[in-house]
Amino acid sequence: MTVANEYIPGNSPIHSMTPLAKIIWTSVVMILALLFNHPLYLLALFFSVLLVAKIAGVLKVLISTLKSLFLFSLILILLQVLFTKEGEVIFYITEYLPVTKNAVYLGTAMGLRMMAAVLSFLIFLLTTRFKDIIQTLTNNLKLPIDYVFIFMTALRFIPTFLNEIKQVKEAQSCRGCSLDGWNPLVKIKAYAAVALPLVLVSLQKADKLAMAMETRGCGSGPRTCYREQKMSAADLSLVFISILLAVFAVLARLNGYGTYQY
Amino acid sequence: MISNPIIQVKDLCQNLDENHFILNKINLTIGSGEFLALVGQNGAGKTTLAKHFNGLLKPTSGKVLVDNLNTKYVKVSELAQKVGYVFQNPDHQIFHNSVEKEISFGLKYLNLPAEEVKRRTDDALKAVGLVDYRYAHPYSLSRGQRQRVALASVLVLKPNVLVLDEPTTGLDYRESMQIMNMIRSLNNQGHTIIMITHDMSLVSTFAKRVVVLNKGEILLDGPVREVLSHQEILSETFLEIPPISRLADKLSVIGIPKNLLTVEEVYRALCDVRGAEK
Ligand SMILES: Nc1ncnc2c1ncn2[C@@H]1O[C@H](COP(=O)(O)OP(=O)(O)O)[C@@H](O)[C@H]1O
Ligand SMILES: [Mg+2]
Repeated sequence: MTVANEYIPGNSPIHSMTPLAKIIWTSVVMILALLFNHPLYLLALFFSVLLVAKIAGVLKVLISTLKSLFLFSLILILLQVLFTKEGEVIFYITEYLPVTKNAVYLGTAMGLRMMAAVLSFLIFLLTTRFKDIIQTLTNNLKLPIDYVFIFMTALRFIPTFLNEIKQVKEAQSCRGCSLDGWNPLVKIKAYAAVALPLVLVSLQKADKLAMAMETRGCGSGPRTCYREQKMSAADLSLVFISILLAVFAVLARLNGYGTYQY
Repeated sequence: MISNPIIQVKDLCQNLDENHFILNKINLTIGSGEFLALVGQNGAGKTTLAKHFNGLLKPTSGKVLVDNLNTKYVKVSELAQKVGYVFQNPDHQIFHNSVEKEISFGLKYLNLPAEEVKRRTDDALKAVGLVDYRYAHPYSLSRGQRQRVALASVLVLKPNVLVLDEPTTGLDYRESMQIMNMIRSLNNQGHTIIMITHDMSLVSTFAKRVVVLNKGEILLDGPVREVLSHQEILSETFLEIPPISRLADKLSVIGIPKNLLTVEEVYRALCDVRGAEK
Protein backbone atom coordinates (compact mmCIF):
# COMPACT_ATOMS: atom_id res chain seq x y z
CA MET A 1 0.00 0.00 0.00
CA THR A 2 1.31 3.38 -0.88
CA VAL A 3 0.44 6.24 1.43
CA ALA A 4 0.46 9.79 0.20
CA ASN A 5 0.77 12.11 3.18
CA GLU A 6 3.34 14.65 2.11
CA TYR A 7 2.51 18.26 1.41
CA ILE A 8 1.88 18.91 -2.26
CA PRO A 9 2.33 22.57 -3.22
CA GLY A 10 -0.67 24.13 -4.85
CA ASN A 11 -2.81 27.25 -4.85
CA SER A 12 -6.31 25.88 -4.47
CA PRO A 13 -8.72 27.53 -2.02
CA ILE A 14 -8.10 24.60 0.33
CA HIS A 15 -4.35 25.24 0.28
CA SER A 16 -4.74 28.87 1.21
CA MET A 17 -6.91 28.24 4.28
CA THR A 18 -5.33 28.36 7.69
CA PRO A 19 -4.49 24.99 9.23
CA LEU A 20 -6.82 25.66 12.16
CA ALA A 21 -9.85 25.90 9.87
CA LYS A 22 -8.85 22.67 8.21
CA ILE A 23 -8.28 20.93 11.55
CA ILE A 24 -11.78 21.93 12.64
CA TRP A 25 -13.21 20.70 9.36
CA THR A 26 -11.40 17.35 9.71
CA SER A 27 -12.65 16.98 13.28
CA VAL A 28 -16.21 17.74 12.24
CA VAL A 29 -16.01 15.13 9.48
CA MET A 30 -14.85 12.63 12.08
CA ILE A 31 -17.63 13.58 14.49
CA LEU A 32 -20.22 13.24 11.73
CA ALA A 33 -18.76 9.89 10.65
CA LEU A 34 -19.03 8.55 14.19
CA LEU A 35 -22.44 10.10 14.85
CA PHE A 36 -24.36 8.50 12.01
CA ASN A 37 -24.60 4.84 11.16
CA HIS A 38 -26.97 5.04 8.20
CA PRO A 39 -25.04 4.08 5.04
CA LEU A 40 -26.78 6.73 2.95
CA TYR A 41 -25.87 9.56 5.32
CA LEU A 42 -22.30 8.30 5.44
CA LEU A 43 -22.20 8.02 1.66
CA ALA A 44 -23.21 11.68 1.41
CA LEU A 45 -20.46 12.58 3.88
CA PHE A 46 -17.93 10.53 1.91
CA PHE A 47 -18.84 12.31 -1.32
CA SER A 48 -18.58 15.69 0.33
CA VAL A 49 -15.03 14.79 1.37
CA LEU A 50 -14.25 13.64 -2.18
CA LEU A 51 -15.54 16.97 -3.43
CA VAL A 52 -13.13 18.81 -1.15
CA ALA A 53 -10.30 16.61 -2.45
CA LYS A 54 -11.30 17.53 -5.99
CA ILE A 55 -11.30 21.26 -5.17
CA ALA A 56 -7.88 20.91 -3.54
CA GLY A 57 -6.62 19.09 -6.64
CA VAL A 58 -5.28 16.13 -4.69
CA LEU A 59 -7.79 13.52 -5.86
CA LYS A 60 -5.27 11.99 -8.28
CA VAL A 61 -2.67 11.51 -5.56
CA LEU A 62 -5.24 9.88 -3.31
CA ILE A 63 -6.38 7.31 -5.88
CA SER A 64 -3.95 4.59 -4.79
CA THR A 65 -4.75 5.15 -1.12
CA LEU A 66 -8.43 5.12 -2.00
CA LYS A 67 -8.01 1.77 -3.70
CA SER A 68 -6.40 0.25 -0.61
CA LEU A 69 -9.11 1.71 1.64
CA PHE A 70 -11.72 0.29 -0.67
CA LEU A 71 -10.20 -3.16 -0.40
CA PHE A 72 -10.17 -2.82 3.36
CA SER A 73 -13.84 -1.82 3.32
CA LEU A 74 -14.68 -4.93 1.30
CA ILE A 75 -12.95 -7.02 3.97
CA LEU A 76 -15.05 -5.24 6.63
CA ILE A 77 -18.23 -6.09 4.74
CA LEU A 78 -17.09 -9.69 4.34
CA LEU A 79 -16.44 -9.96 8.09
CA GLN A 80 -19.90 -8.60 8.83
CA VAL A 81 -21.42 -11.14 6.45
CA LEU A 82 -19.61 -13.92 8.32
CA PHE A 83 -20.69 -12.81 11.78
CA THR A 84 -24.05 -11.06 11.45
CA LYS A 85 -26.91 -13.47 11.08
CA GLU A 86 -29.87 -11.33 12.18
CA GLY A 87 -32.23 -9.51 9.89
CA GLU A 88 -33.71 -9.97 6.48
CA VAL A 89 -31.80 -12.39 4.26
CA ILE A 90 -30.89 -11.13 0.79
CA PHE A 91 -29.41 -14.37 -0.55
CA TYR A 92 -27.50 -17.45 0.56
CA ILE A 93 -23.87 -18.13 -0.34
CA THR A 94 -24.24 -21.64 1.05
CA GLU A 95 -27.02 -23.11 3.14
CA TYR A 96 -25.25 -22.07 6.35
CA LEU A 97 -24.00 -18.71 5.18
CA PRO A 98 -26.85 -16.31 4.61
CA VAL A 99 -26.10 -12.79 3.51
CA THR A 100 -28.35 -10.48 5.52
CA LYS A 101 -29.31 -6.93 4.75
CA ASN A 102 -28.04 -5.92 8.19
CA ALA A 103 -24.60 -7.35 7.54
CA VAL A 104 -24.18 -5.57 4.22
CA TYR A 105 -25.46 -2.26 5.61
CA LEU A 106 -23.34 -2.46 8.75
CA GLY A 107 -20.21 -3.36 6.76
CA THR A 108 -20.81 -0.59 4.24
CA ALA A 109 -21.40 1.93 7.00
CA MET A 110 -18.17 0.97 8.74
CA GLY A 111 -16.22 1.12 5.50
CA LEU A 112 -17.58 4.55 4.52
CA ARG A 113 -17.01 5.88 8.02
CA MET A 114 -13.36 4.85 7.89
CA MET A 115 -12.83 6.18 4.36
CA ALA A 116 -14.38 9.58 5.11
CA ALA A 117 -12.33 10.03 8.28
CA VAL A 118 -9.02 8.87 6.78
CA LEU A 119 -9.46 10.87 3.58
CA SER A 120 -10.33 14.11 5.34
CA PHE A 121 -7.21 13.80 7.46
CA LEU A 122 -5.06 13.05 4.38
CA ILE A 123 -6.49 16.06 2.55
CA PHE A 124 -5.49 18.17 5.52
CA LEU A 125 -1.93 16.78 5.43
CA LEU A 126 -1.60 17.06 1.66
CA THR A 127 -2.65 20.70 1.54
CA THR A 128 -0.91 22.05 4.64
CA ARG A 129 2.74 22.81 5.14
CA PHE A 130 4.48 20.88 7.92
CA LYS A 131 5.67 24.01 9.68
CA ASP A 132 2.22 25.62 9.48
CA ILE A 133 0.66 22.61 11.17
CA ILE A 134 3.21 22.79 13.98
CA GLN A 135 2.63 26.50 14.40
CA THR A 136 -1.13 26.06 14.63
CA LEU A 137 -0.96 23.19 17.09
CA THR A 138 1.46 25.02 19.39
CA ASN A 139 0.34 28.64 19.05
CA ASN A 140 -3.41 28.43 18.42
CA LEU A 141 -4.21 25.20 20.22
CA LYS A 142 -1.53 25.66 22.91
CA LEU A 143 -0.30 22.07 22.75
CA PRO A 144 3.21 21.46 24.17
CA ILE A 145 5.78 21.71 21.36
CA ASP A 146 7.67 18.56 22.40
CA TYR A 147 4.68 16.28 21.88
CA VAL A 148 3.54 18.07 18.75
CA PHE A 149 7.01 17.65 17.33
CA ILE A 150 7.15 13.92 18.12
CA PHE A 151 3.81 13.34 16.42
CA MET A 152 4.52 15.49 13.39
CA THR A 153 8.00 14.07 12.87
CA ALA A 154 6.58 10.55 12.93
CA LEU A 155 4.13 11.53 10.20
CA ARG A 156 6.73 13.39 8.22
CA PHE A 157 9.08 10.38 8.22
CA ILE A 158 6.63 7.80 6.84
CA PRO A 159 7.60 8.41 3.19
CA THR A 160 11.28 8.55 4.16
CA PHE A 161 11.02 5.16 5.83
CA LEU A 162 9.15 3.62 2.92
CA ASN A 163 11.99 4.78 0.70
CA GLU A 164 14.53 3.45 3.20
CA ILE A 165 12.80 0.04 3.21
CA LYS A 166 13.04 -0.05 -0.57
CA GLN A 167 16.74 0.72 -0.51
CA VAL A 168 17.49 -1.89 2.15
CA LYS A 169 15.52 -4.51 0.20
CA GLU A 170 17.46 -3.67 -2.95
CA ALA A 171 20.80 -3.80 -1.15
CA GLN A 172 20.02 -7.18 0.41
CA SER A 173 18.79 -8.77 -2.80
CA CYS A 174 21.99 -7.59 -4.47
CA ARG A 175 24.00 -9.82 -2.19
CA GLY A 176 21.93 -12.87 -3.01
CA CYS A 177 19.33 -12.63 -0.25
CA SER A 178 16.11 -13.65 -1.92
CA LEU A 179 13.33 -11.27 -0.96
CA ASP A 180 11.68 -11.02 -4.33
CA GLY A 181 10.36 -14.58 -4.40
CA TRP A 182 6.82 -15.68 -3.62
CA ASN A 183 7.63 -18.28 -0.97
CA PRO A 184 6.26 -16.84 2.31
CA LEU A 185 8.60 -18.98 4.46
CA VAL A 186 11.67 -17.62 2.74
CA LYS A 187 10.24 -14.12 3.03
CA ILE A 188 9.74 -14.42 6.80
CA LYS A 189 13.30 -15.67 7.22
CA ALA A 190 14.62 -12.79 5.16
CA TYR A 191 12.67 -10.37 7.35
CA ALA A 192 15.58 -9.85 9.75
CA ALA A 193 17.82 -8.83 6.87
CA VAL A 194 15.48 -5.93 6.15
CA ALA A 195 14.28 -5.03 9.64
CA LEU A 196 17.67 -4.83 11.37
CA PRO A 197 19.46 -2.48 8.95
CA LEU A 198 16.29 -0.40 8.88
CA VAL A 199 16.29 -0.01 12.67
CA LEU A 200 20.00 0.83 12.70
CA VAL A 201 19.72 3.39 9.90
CA SER A 202 16.64 4.91 11.57
CA LEU A 203 18.44 5.29 14.87
CA GLN A 204 21.29 7.05 13.08
CA LYS A 205 18.75 9.33 11.44
CA ALA A 206 17.00 10.13 14.71
CA ASP A 207 20.32 10.93 16.33
CA LYS A 208 21.27 13.30 13.52
CA LEU A 209 17.87 14.97 13.62
CA ALA A 210 18.16 15.58 17.37
CA MET A 211 21.60 17.09 16.89
CA ALA A 212 20.45 19.30 14.04
CA MET A 213 17.56 20.56 16.18
CA GLU A 214 19.76 21.27 19.16
CA THR A 215 22.32 23.16 17.13
CA ARG A 216 19.50 25.35 15.88
CA GLY A 217 18.51 26.19 19.41
CA CYS A 218 15.46 23.98 19.79
CA GLY A 219 14.38 23.82 23.43
CA SER A 220 16.42 26.84 24.50
CA GLY A 221 13.49 29.10 25.28
CA PRO A 222 10.05 30.26 24.24
CA ARG A 223 9.37 29.94 20.54
CA THR A 224 8.27 32.83 18.35
CA CYS A 225 7.16 32.76 14.75
CA TYR A 226 8.19 34.87 11.80
CA ARG A 227 4.76 34.69 10.18
CA GLU A 228 1.61 34.93 12.29
CA GLN A 229 -1.41 33.09 10.95
CA LYS A 230 -4.55 35.16 10.63
CA MET A 231 -8.01 33.74 9.99
CA SER A 232 -9.49 35.15 6.78
CA ALA A 233 -13.20 35.57 6.05
CA ALA A 234 -13.18 32.29 4.09
CA ASP A 235 -11.56 30.52 7.05
CA LEU A 236 -14.08 31.90 9.49
CA SER A 237 -16.99 30.91 7.30
CA LEU A 238 -15.63 27.37 6.90
CA VAL A 239 -15.24 27.08 10.65
CA PHE A 240 -18.73 28.51 11.14
CA ILE A 241 -20.31 26.14 8.61
CA SER A 242 -18.43 23.14 10.03
CA ILE A 243 -19.49 23.86 13.59
CA LEU A 244 -23.04 24.63 12.53
CA LEU A 245 -23.11 21.34 10.66
CA ALA A 246 -21.83 19.49 13.70
CA VAL A 247 -24.42 21.08 15.99
CA PHE A 248 -27.17 20.43 13.48
CA ALA A 249 -26.01 16.82 13.11
CA VAL A 250 -26.05 16.25 16.86
CA LEU A 251 -29.57 17.68 17.06
CA ALA A 252 -30.69 15.53 14.13
CA ARG A 253 -29.18 12.49 15.71
CA LEU A 254 -30.91 13.20 19.03
CA ASN A 255 -34.20 13.36 17.14
CA GLY A 256 -33.52 9.97 15.61
CA TYR A 257 -32.40 10.87 12.11
CA GLY A 258 -29.44 9.29 10.40
CA THR A 259 -29.55 6.01 12.25
CA TYR A 260 -30.35 2.69 10.82
CA GLN A 261 -32.18 0.25 13.05
CA TYR A 262 -30.24 -2.98 13.00
CA MET B 1 33.65 -4.93 -31.78
CA ILE B 2 33.73 -6.24 -28.24
CA SER B 3 34.74 -9.88 -28.42
CA ASN B 4 33.39 -11.21 -25.15
CA PRO B 5 30.29 -9.24 -24.17
CA ILE B 6 29.00 -9.74 -20.64
CA ILE B 7 26.35 -6.99 -20.58
CA GLN B 8 24.40 -5.93 -23.65
CA VAL B 9 21.96 -3.03 -23.49
CA LYS B 10 19.70 -2.65 -26.48
CA ASP B 11 17.48 0.40 -27.08
CA LEU B 12 16.87 0.70 -23.36
CA CYS B 13 14.27 3.26 -22.33
CA GLN B 14 13.13 3.94 -18.79
CA ASN B 15 10.13 6.21 -18.47
CA LEU B 16 8.53 7.91 -15.50
CA ASP B 17 5.35 8.37 -17.53
CA GLU B 18 4.56 8.81 -21.20
CA ASN B 19 6.19 12.21 -21.51
CA HIS B 20 9.12 11.98 -19.12
CA PHE B 21 11.99 9.63 -19.67
CA ILE B 22 14.91 8.98 -17.34
CA LEU B 23 16.82 6.96 -19.91
CA ASN B 24 16.34 7.33 -23.64
CA LYS B 25 17.45 4.71 -26.21
CA ILE B 26 20.61 3.53 -24.49
CA ASN B 27 22.80 1.16 -26.51
CA LEU B 28 25.85 -0.20 -24.76
CA THR B 29 27.94 -3.34 -24.86
CA ILE B 30 30.33 -4.10 -22.04
CA GLY B 31 32.98 -6.73 -22.51
CA SER B 32 34.14 -9.17 -19.87
CA GLY B 33 37.15 -7.78 -18.00
CA GLU B 34 36.62 -4.11 -18.85
CA PHE B 35 37.17 -1.26 -16.38
CA LEU B 36 34.41 1.16 -17.28
CA ALA B 37 33.56 4.45 -15.65
CA LEU B 38 30.01 5.74 -15.90
CA VAL B 39 30.13 9.50 -15.47
CA GLY B 40 27.69 12.39 -15.68
CA GLN B 41 26.32 15.13 -13.48
CA ASN B 42 23.80 14.52 -10.69
CA GLY B 43 20.49 13.32 -12.06
CA ALA B 44 21.95 12.26 -15.41
CA GLY B 45 20.60 8.72 -14.92
CA LYS B 46 23.77 6.85 -13.96
CA THR B 47 22.25 4.99 -11.02
CA THR B 48 19.11 4.25 -13.00
CA LEU B 49 21.16 2.76 -15.84
CA ALA B 50 23.35 0.72 -13.49
CA LYS B 51 20.32 -0.72 -11.71
CA HIS B 52 19.31 -2.28 -15.02
CA PHE B 53 22.54 -4.28 -15.12
CA ASN B 54 21.45 -6.57 -12.30
CA GLY B 55 17.70 -6.47 -12.82
CA LEU B 56 16.83 -4.11 -9.96
CA LEU B 57 15.02 -2.10 -12.61
CA LYS B 58 13.35 -3.64 -15.63
CA PRO B 59 13.33 -1.70 -18.93
CA THR B 60 10.19 0.16 -19.97
CA SER B 61 11.20 -0.81 -23.49
CA GLY B 62 14.26 -2.40 -25.02
CA LYS B 63 16.22 -5.10 -23.25
CA VAL B 64 19.26 -5.83 -21.13
CA LEU B 65 21.17 -9.10 -21.51
CA VAL B 66 23.57 -10.28 -18.84
CA ASP B 67 25.64 -13.23 -19.98
CA ASN B 68 22.95 -13.65 -22.68
CA LEU B 69 20.17 -13.87 -20.08
CA ASN B 70 17.36 -11.33 -20.37
CA THR B 71 17.23 -9.59 -16.98
CA LYS B 72 13.47 -9.33 -17.28
CA TYR B 73 13.05 -13.01 -16.54
CA VAL B 74 15.66 -13.52 -13.80
CA LYS B 75 15.39 -12.69 -10.10
CA VAL B 76 17.79 -10.09 -8.69
CA SER B 77 19.05 -12.52 -6.04
CA GLU B 78 20.00 -14.96 -8.79
CA LEU B 79 21.63 -12.34 -11.00
CA ALA B 80 23.67 -11.37 -7.93
CA GLN B 81 26.01 -14.24 -8.75
CA LYS B 82 26.81 -12.64 -12.09
CA VAL B 83 26.55 -8.94 -11.31
CA GLY B 84 27.43 -7.61 -7.87
CA TYR B 85 26.10 -4.18 -6.98
CA VAL B 86 27.67 -2.11 -4.19
CA PHE B 87 25.46 0.75 -3.04
CA GLN B 88 26.52 4.23 -2.01
CA ASN B 89 25.47 3.76 1.61
CA PRO B 90 26.90 0.58 3.19
CA ASP B 91 24.63 0.94 6.24
CA HIS B 92 21.63 -0.20 4.23
CA GLN B 93 22.87 -3.76 4.34
CA ILE B 94 24.93 -4.16 7.50
CA PHE B 95 23.16 -6.01 10.33
CA HIS B 96 25.46 -8.69 11.75
CA ASN B 97 27.63 -8.26 14.82
CA SER B 98 30.88 -9.29 13.19
CA VAL B 99 32.54 -8.49 9.90
CA GLU B 100 32.94 -12.18 9.12
CA LYS B 101 29.23 -13.01 9.59
CA GLU B 102 28.28 -9.93 7.63
CA ILE B 103 30.40 -10.94 4.67
CA SER B 104 29.33 -14.59 4.56
CA PHE B 105 25.60 -13.80 4.85
CA GLY B 106 24.89 -14.05 1.11
CA LEU B 107 26.50 -17.50 0.92
CA LYS B 108 23.79 -19.02 3.14
CA TYR B 109 21.48 -18.99 0.16
CA LEU B 110 23.82 -21.01 -2.04
CA ASN B 111 23.93 -24.21 0.07
CA LEU B 112 27.71 -24.45 -0.16
CA PRO B 113 29.84 -26.84 1.93
CA ALA B 114 31.35 -25.25 5.07
CA GLU B 115 34.95 -25.26 3.74
CA GLU B 116 33.86 -23.43 0.62
CA VAL B 117 32.06 -20.78 2.70
CA LYS B 118 35.17 -20.32 4.82
CA ARG B 119 37.46 -20.16 1.79
CA ARG B 120 35.32 -17.59 -0.02
CA THR B 121 34.98 -15.47 3.13
CA ASP B 122 38.75 -15.54 3.65
CA ASP B 123 39.34 -14.56 0.03
CA ALA B 124 36.91 -11.67 0.26
CA LEU B 125 38.41 -10.46 3.55
CA LYS B 126 41.85 -10.52 1.95
CA ALA B 127 40.67 -8.76 -1.20
CA VAL B 128 39.36 -5.79 0.79
CA GLY B 129 42.18 -5.81 3.35
CA LEU B 130 40.04 -6.47 6.42
CA VAL B 131 41.60 -9.74 7.61
CA ASP B 132 42.55 -8.14 10.93
CA TYR B 133 38.99 -6.97 11.49
CA ARG B 134 37.37 -10.37 10.99
CA TYR B 135 35.69 -10.39 14.43
CA ALA B 136 35.20 -6.64 14.78
CA HIS B 137 31.72 -5.15 14.96
CA PRO B 138 30.97 -3.52 11.60
CA TYR B 139 29.70 -0.37 13.31
CA SER B 140 33.04 0.05 15.09
CA LEU B 141 34.71 0.52 11.68
CA SER B 142 35.17 3.75 9.76
CA ARG B 143 32.88 4.64 6.87
CA GLY B 144 35.52 3.61 4.35
CA GLN B 145 36.02 0.27 6.07
CA ARG B 146 32.25 -0.33 6.16
CA GLN B 147 32.19 0.42 2.44
CA ARG B 148 34.79 -2.32 2.04
CA VAL B 149 32.66 -4.72 4.14
CA ALA B 150 29.79 -4.02 1.74
CA LEU B 151 32.09 -4.67 -1.21
CA ALA B 152 33.30 -7.94 0.33
CA SER B 153 29.77 -9.13 1.05
CA VAL B 154 29.05 -8.84 -2.67
CA LEU B 155 32.43 -10.31 -3.67
CA VAL B 156 31.82 -13.62 -1.86
CA LEU B 157 29.23 -14.49 -4.47
CA LYS B 158 32.03 -14.38 -7.07
CA PRO B 159 30.21 -12.19 -9.59
CA ASN B 160 31.98 -11.54 -12.87
CA VAL B 161 30.77 -7.94 -12.91
CA LEU B 162 31.04 -5.46 -10.04
CA VAL B 163 28.96 -2.30 -10.16
CA LEU B 164 30.14 0.35 -7.70
CA ASP B 165 27.87 3.34 -7.18
CA GLU B 166 30.05 6.30 -6.20
CA PRO B 167 32.47 4.17 -4.16
CA THR B 168 34.51 7.13 -2.92
CA THR B 169 31.89 9.68 -1.82
CA GLY B 170 32.32 10.61 1.81
CA LEU B 171 35.82 9.11 1.98
CA ASP B 172 39.05 11.01 2.49
CA TYR B 173 41.85 10.83 -0.06
CA ARG B 174 43.69 7.95 1.63
CA GLU B 175 40.56 5.81 1.98
CA SER B 176 39.55 6.61 -1.61
CA MET B 177 42.91 5.47 -2.89
CA GLN B 178 42.72 2.29 -0.81
CA ILE B 179 39.37 1.31 -2.23
CA MET B 180 40.34 2.32 -5.78
CA ASN B 181 43.51 0.22 -5.63
CA MET B 182 41.42 -2.72 -4.42
CA ILE B 183 39.03 -2.22 -7.30
CA ARG B 184 41.97 -2.08 -9.71
CA SER B 185 43.43 -5.32 -8.43
CA LEU B 186 40.01 -7.00 -8.68
CA ASN B 187 39.96 -5.86 -12.30
CA ASN B 188 43.40 -7.37 -12.82
CA GLN B 189 42.08 -10.65 -11.41
CA GLY B 190 39.46 -10.68 -14.16
CA HIS B 191 36.43 -8.92 -12.68
CA THR B 192 34.56 -6.55 -14.96
CA ILE B 193 34.30 -3.19 -13.18
CA ILE B 194 31.57 -0.63 -13.73
CA MET B 195 32.23 2.39 -11.57
CA ILE B 196 29.79 5.28 -11.22
CA THR B 197 31.46 8.56 -10.34
CA HIS B 198 31.76 12.19 -11.20
CA ASP B 199 35.37 12.48 -10.12
CA MET B 200 37.18 12.78 -13.44
CA SER B 201 40.66 12.51 -11.94
CA LEU B 202 39.76 9.07 -10.54
CA VAL B 203 38.50 8.18 -13.98
CA SER B 204 41.67 9.26 -15.75
CA THR B 205 43.83 7.38 -13.24
CA PHE B 206 41.94 4.12 -12.99
CA ALA B 207 39.38 3.53 -15.74
CA LYS B 208 40.07 2.30 -19.23
CA ARG B 209 36.78 3.16 -20.87
CA VAL B 210 34.40 6.02 -20.10
CA VAL B 211 30.70 6.35 -20.84
CA VAL B 212 29.38 9.88 -20.36
CA LEU B 213 25.68 10.16 -19.63
CA ASN B 214 23.82 13.42 -20.01
CA LYS B 215 20.08 13.86 -19.44
CA GLY B 216 19.41 10.15 -19.93
CA GLU B 217 21.42 9.78 -23.13
CA ILE B 218 24.93 8.61 -23.91
CA LEU B 219 26.99 11.65 -24.87
CA LEU B 220 30.39 10.04 -25.31
CA ASP B 221 31.67 6.48 -25.14
CA GLY B 222 35.28 5.44 -25.66
CA PRO B 223 38.74 5.00 -24.18
CA VAL B 224 39.60 7.49 -21.40
CA ARG B 225 42.11 9.35 -23.56
CA GLU B 226 39.72 9.87 -26.40
CA VAL B 227 36.81 10.99 -24.19
CA LEU B 228 38.99 13.46 -22.28
CA SER B 229 40.13 15.06 -25.51
CA HIS B 230 36.54 16.11 -26.35
CA GLN B 231 36.58 18.95 -23.85
CA GLU B 232 33.94 21.13 -25.49
CA ILE B 233 31.41 18.29 -25.40
CA LEU B 234 32.40 17.42 -21.84
CA SER B 235 31.88 21.00 -20.70
CA GLU B 236 28.15 20.48 -21.42
CA THR B 237 28.01 18.06 -18.52
CA PHE B 238 29.73 20.32 -15.98
CA LEU B 239 32.17 17.56 -15.12
CA GLU B 240 35.40 18.81 -13.67
CA ILE B 241 38.18 17.80 -16.04
CA PRO B 242 41.55 17.06 -14.36
CA PRO B 243 43.78 20.17 -14.48
CA ILE B 244 46.57 18.44 -16.40
CA SER B 245 44.19 17.43 -19.19
CA ARG B 246 42.85 20.98 -19.32
CA LEU B 247 46.41 22.27 -19.59
CA ALA B 248 47.16 19.83 -22.41
CA ASP B 249 44.01 20.98 -24.17
CA LYS B 250 45.07 24.65 -23.87
CA LEU B 251 48.60 23.86 -24.99
CA SER B 252 47.40 22.05 -28.08
CA VAL B 253 47.78 25.41 -29.89
CA ILE B 254 51.54 25.02 -29.68
CA GLY B 255 51.33 21.49 -31.03
CA ILE B 256 51.15 19.05 -28.13
CA PRO B 257 48.54 16.25 -28.36
CA LYS B 258 45.14 16.84 -26.73
CA ASN B 259 44.73 13.39 -25.25
CA LEU B 260 47.33 13.40 -22.48
CA LEU B 261 46.47 12.16 -19.00
CA THR B 262 49.50 12.58 -16.75
CA VAL B 263 51.98 15.31 -15.84
CA GLU B 264 54.73 13.07 -17.14
CA GLU B 265 53.13 12.81 -20.58
CA VAL B 266 52.61 16.55 -20.86
CA TYR B 267 56.20 17.16 -19.77
CA ARG B 268 57.51 14.79 -22.46
CA ALA B 269 55.29 16.35 -25.11
CA LEU B 270 56.52 19.83 -24.15
CA CYS B 271 60.15 18.67 -24.34
CA ASP B 272 59.47 17.18 -27.77
CA VAL B 273 57.93 20.45 -29.01
CA ARG B 274 60.89 22.47 -27.69
CA GLY B 275 63.36 19.98 -29.18
CA ALA B 276 61.70 20.33 -32.56
CA GLU B 277 61.88 24.13 -32.32
CA LYS B 278 65.67 24.09 -31.76
N1 LIG C 1 11.72 6.48 -8.67
C1 LIG C 1 11.85 7.66 -9.29
N2 LIG C 1 10.80 8.49 -9.40
C2 LIG C 1 10.92 9.68 -10.01
N3 LIG C 1 12.05 10.13 -10.55
C3 LIG C 1 13.13 9.37 -10.49
C4 LIG C 1 13.09 8.09 -9.84
N4 LIG C 1 14.33 7.56 -9.92
C5 LIG C 1 15.08 8.46 -10.57
N5 LIG C 1 14.38 9.54 -10.91
C6 LIG C 1 14.87 10.71 -11.68
O1 LIG C 1 15.69 10.23 -12.71
C7 LIG C 1 16.83 11.03 -12.88
C8 LIG C 1 18.07 10.20 -12.82
O2 LIG C 1 18.31 9.74 -11.52
P1 LIG C 1 19.63 8.93 -11.14
O3 LIG C 1 19.74 7.75 -12.02
O4 LIG C 1 19.57 8.66 -9.68
O5 LIG C 1 20.78 9.98 -11.45
P2 LIG C 1 22.34 9.92 -11.07
O6 LIG C 1 22.62 8.62 -10.41
O7 LIG C 1 23.04 10.10 -12.38
O8 LIG C 1 22.58 11.09 -10.17
C9 LIG C 1 16.77 12.09 -11.80
O9 LIG C 1 16.36 13.29 -12.40
C10 LIG C 1 15.74 11.60 -10.83
O10 LIG C 1 15.01 12.68 -10.30
MG1 LIG D 1 23.31 8.21 -8.40
